[in-house]
Amino acid sequence: MLNPMDMTGKLIIVTGASDGIGRAAALHLAMLGAKTVLISRDVNKLKLISEALGKNPHKIYPYDLTDLEGIEDLIRTISEENGKIDGMVHCAGVSPMMPLKSTKYDLFHNTMLINFYAFAELVRCAGKAANCNDGASFLAVSSVSSVKGNKAQSAYAASKAAVSGVIKPMAKELSSRGIRVNSVLFGIIKTGMYEKFLEQGGDMSLWNGQYLGLGSPEDAANVISFLLSDASKLITGTDLIADGGYLS
Amino acid sequence: METSDKIRLLEEMLELKNGTLNESTALKSIPGWDSMAALSLIALCDEKFHKKLSGDKILSFITVKDITDFMG
Ligand SMILES: NC(=O)c1ccc[n+]([C@@H]2O[C@H](COP(=O)([O-])OP(=O)(O)OC[C@H]3O[C@@H](n4cnc5c(N)ncnc54)[C@H](OP(=O)(O)O)[C@@H]3O)[C@@H](O)[C@H]2O)c1
Repeated sequence: MLNPMDMTGKLIIVTGASDGIGRAAALHLAMLGAKTVLISRDVNKLKLISEALGKNPHKIYPYDLTDLEGIEDLIRTISEENGKIDGMVHCAGVSPMMPLKSTKYDLFHNTMLINFYAFAELVRCAGKAANCNDGASFLAVSSVSSVKGNKAQSAYAASKAAVSGVIKPMAKELSSRGIRVNSVLFGIIKTGMYEKFLEQGGDMSLWNGQYLGLGSPEDAANVISFLLSDASKLITGTDLIADGGYLS
Repeated sequence: METSDKIRLLEEMLELKNGTLNESTALKSIPGWDSMAALSLIALCDEKFHKKLSGDKILSFITVKDITDFMG
């Protein structure tokens, strides 16, 4: 049977693979036949997930992506050890909640480090001809907060909006090799990040507009797989909205 | 840290005049005591007292003393 999202034999990097959306994406991509490369800081969690992925040769590369200087070597090592990369999804991220009056430049900086700079550096390095195949797909997991930030989200919203800005020039520069660069704007997805939001007394009434209901990590993984697969071959330089209706 | 210093920190956080709060002040009576203030308090307890404060714990606070006691 035709499966337009078939990923057989494709080498896909998943950052933030130890938890939440990244974990679900890794499992989904593996089920579609991809060989996944899992990155996050927690080696024990990565090992457990790699075991859960089953028979394909999945690899783990424990790494703190806020160490931007080392990303070039990390990507080179991954492609030397596993072959050229066919796709990457950047799920690693943080979502600090801080009222404006306490949001100093260091919070902006720390949030940008993982949510934006790491993504930009990953695409810069992975996009080199030596490291990736033509037709590769790069994807940032972003948020509706990039266009409709709520209270206490200044740093988070700014970091996600920066992603929306950078994907367009990136997509154009890499298009000559058929490489695509996109982002996906999720509404609320029920992960540890969402639990933390509730723990901090986050106001769920703001999310009533997500009228299809809250998303599951598996819902998110479906969208990610679509954007990494050839089924989305015509989509580039775009923020795809997957928000249960929130922005409509 | 002295209780008076902790109260001063709270006043600064809530942008209130020095001397507005005392240990028996009911949190509900403080203008500006809302979900944003709760987030600021989480950050304050983390930064100055290295204490993790949850939303549930904040809901259990009734007076300023409950906060200064938590700060330790
Ligand atoms: N959940 C939502 O409602 C929602 C909505 C819209 C967008 N998003 C976005 O989706 C992405 C994933 O969110 P999530 O809900 O899945 O969060 P999560 O459950 O908290 O997972 C975050 C992941 O990022 C990794 N990570 C964090 N800092 C890292 C670092 N310095 N280096 C390497 N890995 C790091 C964590 O792994 P380690 O701790 O092992 O490093 C973990 O795997 C984020 O960018 C978030 O902004 C989430």
